[in-house]
Amino acid sequence: MLLGELPEAAARANPDGTAVVFDGRKMTWKEVETSVCRVANGLGKLGIRKGDRVAIMLPNIPEFVFSFFAIQRLGAVCVPFNTMYKGGEVMHILRDSGARAVIALSNFAPLINEILHDLPALEHIILTGERSVVFADPESTVFVHLVAPKSRFASADEAYRKVGAALHDALRMLGVKDAWYKHRGSIRSKGRKMAGFVVQEAEDQYAAISVVFAGDFSVEEFISVVWVPQEIRDKVMEPLISVAEAIGRRPSFEEIRSAVSLAFEKEFGVRLESGSFARDEQFGYEKLRSLMGRR
Amino acid sequence: MKWTFFSRKPRDARPVWRLVAKPDADVFDVQACPSAAVESAIASKYLLASRKHEATLFVLGMAKRGVLAGPDVSVVDDEAARRGVDVARIPRAGRGAARPAQTVSLDEMMLSAGDDCAQEKAGEDELACLIYTSGTEGRPKGAMLSHRNFLSDCRLIGGLCRIAEGDTVAGVLPMFHIFGLTNVLIGAFVNRAAIVLVPQYSPASLLKAVAESGASFLLATPTIFRHVLRIQQKRCIVPKGALKVCISGAAPLEKEIISEFEEAFGSKLCEGYGLTESTSAVCLNPPDGTRKHGSIGMPPPGIEMKIAGDDGVDLPAGAVGEILVKGEVVMLGYYNMPGETAGAISGGWLRTGDLGYRDGDGYFFVTDRKKEIIIKGGYNVSPKEVEEAILAHPSVKDAAVIGVRKNEREAIKAFVVAREPVEAEDLLRHLRGSLSAFKVPDEIEFRGELPRSLAGKVLKKELKETFMDLRLIERSGDAAGGAAGGGCKGQP
Repeated sequence: MLLGELPEAAARANPDGTAVVFDGRKMTWKEVETSVCRVANGLGKLGIRKGDRVAIMLPNIPEFVFSFFAIQRLGAVCVPFNTMYKGGEVMHILRDSGARAVIALSNFAPLINEILHDLPALEHIILTGERSVVFADPESTVFVHLVAPKSRFASADEAYRKVGAALHDALRMLGVKDAWYKHRGSIRSKGRKMAGFVVQEAEDQYAAISVVFAGDFSVEEFISVVWVPQEIRDKVMEPLISVAEAIGRRPSFEEIRSAVSLAFEKEFGVRLESGSFARDEQFGYEKLRSLMGRR
Repeated sequence: MKWTFFSRKPRDARPVWRLVAKPDADVFDVQACPSAAVESAIASKYLLASRKHEATLFVLGMAKRGVLAGPDVSVVDDEAARRGVDVARIPRAGRGAARPAQTVSLDEMMLSAGDDCAQEKAGEDELACLIYTSGTEGRPKGAMLSHRNFLSDCRLIGGLCRIAEGDTVAGVLPMFHIFGLTNVLIGAFVNRAAIVLVPQYSPASLLKAVAESGASFLLATPTIFRHVLRIQQKRCIVPKGALKVCISGAAPLEKEIISEFEEAFGSKLCEGYGLTESTSAVCLNPPDGTRKHGSIGMPPPGIEMKIAGDDGVDLPAGAVGEILVKGEVVMLGYYNMPGETAGAISGGWLRTGDLGYRDGDGYFFVTDRKKEIIIKGGYNVSPKEVEEAILAHPSVKDAAVIGVRKNEREAIKAFVVAREPVEAEDLLRHLRGSLSAFKVPDEIEFRGELPRSLAGKVLKKELKETFMDLRLIERSGDAAGGAAGGGCKGQP
């Protein structure tokens, strides 16, 4: 008997018996076996073969179960690890094991992103779960988003490089002398995070979604509102530093807008013109807003 | 030739991008603005509409506090309303939705894959998992575990507990940890029991999941059992009598808690012992036999355990030495570390690094750890790894880290010699950036210097003067007489 055969054997013996209960929902052995096969076939399509290492960075959700047995079904080697691990710890395990793929919560994407360059063997980042949490605060946060066609960049790597450079320059213009940007990481000062972003893709567009900590921030206030599991809270609460703390005063929105505009104009060789939404955008925007207000 | 004739005001040839600046935006805008722009840009490609702007830059200042939450995040709406915090929920992403660049969506991958997949051929002794575990030497080592390792452990322990089809196991232990992976996930699959997954542990959520699913088995750590019992007592919840057997591992559990828990839940609560290197549990107080408090029980047939002296010679009952384990549950070795492997396994016997003894009835007791490992909340923490992280701070000259007893738990205490004045909070902030939360010291004490031996080694025993190891058990195998804590050991 092999580990990968367990769900199949159970599904054959007792197809309609309960295998996994999650969030009040019952999954039968047959359903679990089907999901295991689907993940296994998906991994197979990505080129995962016998003996390959596949890491799992997931809490106890059904996807952990499917992924674990799917990896076993392919004769591959599973490398599960603690979801509370930080960058250096994750890097050690992914590098030492030579993992070709990692299956993780979407929340961990920025963390993996930042160490990707030190992981030559890692080819696939497979994400699941929609547990992102963003806090917005008048004093502290200013959001800077860039929506641009993919054709504007040679690669996602270049998008990370250019947006990171622009944000870095904007913070320098605001007087943060020691701001620095690590490729695919955050913009930091004194080792602490001052701004962070992620480049998303949808069809032929990139959206670089950034948050800049302009003023002081208390995450605790928000934590009482949201149930954030420890492994995520830990990363949300990465040590922060605000522009205000670094330069001694909180810059006004106008100053930030002007620094950001100049930095993006320079980095991308473009001219920014103030504008507003076109009709179709306005329609989509309002639809989205109403969707988001609904439970 | 004069070109001035043609020249106008110098023309700006740069492409035009649109800037949308909103100083009084809200948390809904954080998501809705870029999404609307992306949707429209994608649609325009199909509509062949001409667009003036190649790209859009949004700069959004917030007029109100708010939280933007993914669909799988639970938000306490009342609390949000009370605090005046807007709650914006990101709609569940459909197919083709935005996702971080260069990543694959597991859901989409599953949607487009077939329903059947044959098992790839392999031998039972081939590598199935690499589980990383912290040792004394800093960086975690990959314990190589085979199919046979897992299946043997699950059959042996499942047999002891009589887990069978129709049972439900509470899945609260993280499955990335050897205890949860082997004895919960694989254990349930081997014995065809159902698992109720509890992804976000809180005593209340666990109690609810146990009650609703009618779970018959609960495997957890002492902390969880203490919490659950406290909540049950405080809220006077009458548990439905489905729980049959509970297993506690990773650290000792007080006798009073065990009896109160058993009384309240009408379930047996048995302590056991295991390591990552032994594919989790190797011995257990038998649910159907005599359970001795303070003991880790005895191994089931199929696993051998013995006590050996420093010279490797087997010791008789009652003598303290290192606990050794042999059987199909012993790992293949450490990945890419032949030296470490040879040091850990010889002649099939795995050296656990735990000290203990066996009583006349064959029950094992843990008394101390041979290695300097700290076990906090069931996770192994290497003092050296924490020391290295502290020493990376420019203001630190020297550091030593030990485990100390704090209430009923083991906590991490750091002794620091500063090069220049530095605040403990500053140091902690630095550590939180580089270490997992559970590895960050609970206490920092500044010292002028650290006690060192003539050879220059830090004398941690001296730092420990006030530390009473939880694992020191009174030398009596007698269940009635054992007042001090029991012994179990943790894993990574």
